[in-house]
Amino acid sequence: MAAYRKLEGKSTQLLEKIRENLEQLNAKIDVMIEIQKHGQRAIPEDLPEALDVMTLLSLPDHLRKTAVTLCKLEEATADAVAGQTKRARAVESGYLNQLVVMGYLKKERRGRKAYFFVDKEG
Amino acid sequence: MVGKIIAVHSYKGGTGKTSLSVNLAASYARRGKKVCLMDLDFRAPSLHAIFKGQKAEYWLNDYLNGVCEIDKVLVDATKDHGNDGKLMVALANPSTEAIRDMTAKDRKWEMKALGRLLSLRSSLLTDGGLDYIIFDTSPGLQYSSINAIVTADVVLVVTSLDASDINGSQRMTSELYDLFEKKTGILVNKVIADYLSSEKEQKKFDKHIKSIHQLPILATIPCYCEVLRAAGNFIFTEERPDHPFTETLDELAAKVEKF
Repeated sequence: MAAYRKLEGKSTQLLEKIRENLEQLNAKIDVMIEIQKHGQRAIPEDLPEALDVMTLLSLPDHLRKTAVTLCKLEEATADAVAGQTKRARAVESGYLNQLVVMGYLKKERRGRKAYFFVDKEG
Repeated sequence: MVGKIIAVHSYKGGTGKTSLSVNLAASYARRGKKVCLMDLDFRAPSLHAIFKGQKAEYWLNDYLNGVCEIDKVLVDATKDHGNDGKLMVALANPSTEAIRDMTAKDRKWEMKALGRLLSLRSSLLTDGGLDYIIFDTSPGLQYSSINAIVTADVVLVVTSLDASDINGSQRMTSELYDLFEKKTGILVNKVIADYLSSEKEQKKFDKHIKSIHQLPILATIPCYCEVLRAAGNFIFTEERPDHPFTETLDELAAKVEKF
């Protein structure tokens, strides 16, 4: 029984690791799609861009919702943002990564979780 | 229940935003609510003229500049205006130098100011236990007013019957309030008495206004000479509790509470 439990624990850990890797892969694909869509020049060289209200107004609706939610939360995981917007976590993860690519957000990995935030200090 | 942030906004100046913000705040205080009224019109501050003698350690400008925390800005006006509730006021610095300074801010500063405004929800509503924060904003599409709108739960758009004001308010609905998915209500102010002479006329007028704005009409406020004569020297609804203007404002407060 103990051996079975140990095996089960290892499987869970393995599945968790696979999930994490898939998420990282997903984020990287999002970045590549964004670069393909807008060209390398679309990515601002003088990072970070200011996520002020005029910028928020200029964003497409789906990204604006994500950006405003993150402004309210100050710092959050894709999960927390999805909890507020009522959209799927994977969708929010994609939008947050797009905003990172566009230079409006910063991303920091802490352990297994990725945190997104507005870089106010620049 | 966590409180609400209300932004009182308009396309044009002179629509009566400040008068309605002040009287709405007073109405909530009369109903026993804890309210904080904030002057976010940094280009033309006006609340200091109404709340004369109320002096805080710092201005709201200082809070947005990151110089102090919000508790250093708030003035407790409960003794003079609180009635059964609590009325706090945050004043904008009316000096020319401060106005010049606020108009010269860059995008980065405005982004930080938005963050400071958003954090009021936790400091004043969640932790501070206030029921309402009311933002008296600057008219049109300016950074400070859009920051206020993004922060607010409810936007009250004050409009007159002026054609350019109606047109501007319509555009702001589609190009600003809708984009930020804000609960928005219209306050038609300074309405000529002829339009409201009978119940039938009033219904006709309300239908006409609703068809123009496609938004809930939360109040239709006639143009009262007595309110104009008060000239912002005192809080009208406090001095004249039996006046129809006070009744309208109390009804508005109740509607916004359920909005």
